[in-house]
Amino acid sequence: MTLDPRITGRFEYGQDQQVEGMLHARILRSPHAHAKVLSINTSEVPQHVVTLTRDDVADLEPLYGPMVKDQPIVARDRVLHVGDAVAAVAAGTPREAEEAIALVEVEYEEMPAVFDPVDATGDAAPLLHDGIEIPAELRPDGRNMCHRFRLRSGLGQDGFERADVVVEDTFAVAAAAHVAMEPHATLAYWEAGRLHVITGTQTPFNVRRDLAALFRLSEEMIRIVVAPMGGSFGAKTFMRLEPVAAALARKARRPVRAVLTRAEEFITINRHPARFHIRLGATRDGTFVAKSVDAWWNTGAYADCGPSVCTKGGYAAIGPYRIPNVNVDSRCVYTHLPPAGAFRGYAATQGVWASERMTDLMADRLGIDPLTLRLRNLLRNGDSFATGEVMHDVRFADCLRKAAEAVDWGGGRKNKGLAVMLKGMQTPSRTGVALEINAGGHIVLRSATTDMGQRPETAQRNLAAEALGLSPDLVTVGSNDTDLVPFDTRTTSSRSTFMMSNAIREAANDLRRKIAQRFEVAPEDLVLSDEGAGVAGSPDLRRPLTDLTGLRGDGTFVTPGGLDPDTGQGIASSHWHQAAASAEVSVDPETGVTSITRLHTAVYAGNVVDRPGAELQNEGSTIFGIGTARFEGIVFEDGQVTNGNLSDYEIPSILDVPDFTYDLLEGGEHSHGLGEMAVPVVPAAIGNAVAAAGHPVRNLPITAESVLDASLVR
Amino acid sequence: MKIPVRVNEQPVELESRTDETLLTALRRAGFRSVRLTCGIGVCGACTVLIDGAPISSCLVLTPAAVGAGITTTEGLQDGDRIASAFQELSAFQCGYCTPGFVLTTRALLLEHPDPTDDEISHALAGNLCRCGSYLKIKQAVRRVAESMRH
Repeated sequence: MTLDPRITGRFEYGQDQQVEGMLHARILRSPHAHAKVLSINTSEVPQHVVTLTRDDVADLEPLYGPMVKDQPIVARDRVLHVGDAVAAVAAGTPREAEEAIALVEVEYEEMPAVFDPVDATGDAAPLLHDGIEIPAELRPDGRNMCHRFRLRSGLGQDGFERADVVVEDTFAVAAAAHVAMEPHATLAYWEAGRLHVITGTQTPFNVRRDLAALFRLSEEMIRIVVAPMGGSFGAKTFMRLEPVAAALARKARRPVRAVLTRAEEFITINRHPARFHIRLGATRDGTFVAKSVDAWWNTGAYADCGPSVCTKGGYAAIGPYRIPNVNVDSRCVYTHLPPAGAFRGYAATQGVWASERMTDLMADRLGIDPLTLRLRNLLRNGDSFATGEVMHDVRFADCLRKAAEAVDWGGGRKNKGLAVMLKGMQTPSRTGVALEINAGGHIVLRSATTDMGQRPETAQRNLAAEALGLSPDLVTVGSNDTDLVPFDTRTTSSRSTFMMSNAIREAANDLRRKIAQRFEVAPEDLVLSDEGAGVAGSPDLRRPLTDLTGLRGDGTFVTPGGLDPDTGQGIASSHWHQAAASAEVSVDPETGVTSITRLHTAVYAGNVVDRPGAELQNEGSTIFGIGTARFEGIVFEDGQVTNGNLSDYEIPSILDVPDFTYDLLEGGEHSHGLGEMAVPVVPAAIGNAVAAAGHPVRNLPITAESVLDASLVR
Repeated sequence: MKIPVRVNEQPVELESRTDETLLTALRRAGFRSVRLTCGIGVCGACTVLIDGAPISSCLVLTPAAVGAGITTTEGLQDGDRIASAFQELSAFQCGYCTPGFVLTTRALLLEHPDPTDDEISHALAGNLCRCGSYLKIKQAVRRVAESMRH
């Protein structure tokens, strides 16, 4: 057995990429949450070090952003958060760059800052962005608001008149850090007017489009090569280091590599802190009749994908329930915190926490078992969700029953909790893929699916091999280079296995048609095997695949949909991520310290394409959920991160992980993404278990202090 | 200055300033299995063995390692029991932290050839895996320990 290069350490990530003559970048960042930049003096920086300030990018588009163009490459007249980029340098060694950046002098005039999203919408709050253009599909409904998602179904708020019992409460989820082991890393260089970027990104085609707009070039003049990532979890989506590396390389006329420090990671992109007020109305027999969700998402100084987060989190907080009257107001607001963006569990983590804690509060009020209450209201095949879309391939109840069994729910509910969720997938969405026969008789798969450790090569090779009737050894995944691969929306929202499985099937059919044409037979008469291609019933006609070099099959899969931002009606997701979790805890009443004694997740996997990969994704997703449940939260003080290192900001170690169990529910027609199913349900199940132990917590993470604060007087 | 050490049983002269860490010097010399994540000795991504003991190379100044016998995973041979078990049990995802886990496991099994589950967890508590491969890592370590008994 040849050892995998990931084990020997010879595998090269984004930070390991190098090009002859490469310089190293460092970024000077604002120490203030909000300030005027009065002057920038680079005269002390040695001549051979390249500097980049606002004057060097004056000929470019001033702002970029995936949903709202609001972010400059380096600050113009103001800085908007602690860590906002003010200047950058490129030098021969990382140390030289570090020394040079310390020689850049900036004069600031501090300005008032706002950190709370509700405060930020007040008339007196400082305005973050002046004169930016908000795209027509967004609804900036108030000061500093970049989007408001609204959903109305049935009678909306008036539906509460039909309820016998109404419960309401407020819930909050803290900001969290992705903590990919490998930091962000990007290498950029220009060649004959064309920009080449080798970068660890989940979104090569978004980066290509946005760099083209920023540098005022056609997309063909930009080439993105995706480097494998040492983890991402949403952090490496959309543009991060690409603009500054490309701008430095343009000025330096040399390749430039930028790699973030750990401290910079905490002020670059985080998970949205969110706050919810939820009302739930039910009849006395436990039938849900109305729900309202009032949500505030703190997107920090730049919108990034915040508008989409507030939309997806808005409907995720409804939960997988049949509720005839629903009212959602979900707002995405700018503040002077570092920006927040995509994070594993994308908005569902926050929404499901609030929603599923509320479900248990209703169960308590009605005196109905939380499992019974959920089963009574879960969406079934043919039911309409609050968006109006009709549900299909529904397995919520199966997931929930499996979770309940695993903690012996019937044997008593003491210290136990359940949670169930739906999570949307990126919709609308498009995936292209090609299968080419190369000179060696191998099938080369051309795909933009990025590699952040989720084993996409294995999954895609298995899918292509199965679709063609060949062994996976004959399938090779080609370079992930926008010059070579068909368009794909992006590798996010656990969409790739689902989307690729459909696109690869199309590409395989197309390739079969092309091969059949060579043989002048109908595709159904073609026989394809590792030995070659032939015609059914005529073994002597068989030719090796090397005779078919150059033939290529293309496949595309598109999912239509989208929601109306004012009514929330439409297609939220072409298919749904479905999962449940159960937990049992013990709580020390003196200290508030909680330990997890049992934990189980049950997720709808559909057709499993890569068994070890599926297990690893669900195990990792569960462990992410444990971190969010128990201790992960960024602490800000006046906009400064006070725990921005791995000693003060803890992620789960092997000692924090109990021996948990899980079910991957199989069946159905499709392969489902598994990368984020457990993340949202694990904290909610643990929270409900802690509540069942007498500590009705309302906020994540569930710290010992919050457990004591939430103690019921007994 | 040049600091003479042995890396994977080969003599190497590490080019390093006196105030640079062993991590920086090893990476510069091409040993890129040794990786910077936290920079403060809590994550284990920069683990190397120095004379058999796991050390966070981000906390060691290069001159302090003069003459040391350093092990990195670049020195692994096909057939290495620990590496093979990690591979067979798919005990990694992105792989960034894997060299550190493999080396820490080697040090553990040298000292405790038949570790209890608790001993495994405590030995590996200084290596973080954000992808969350811990269950399979534990299985891999158990498998190696079992294979050493036979």
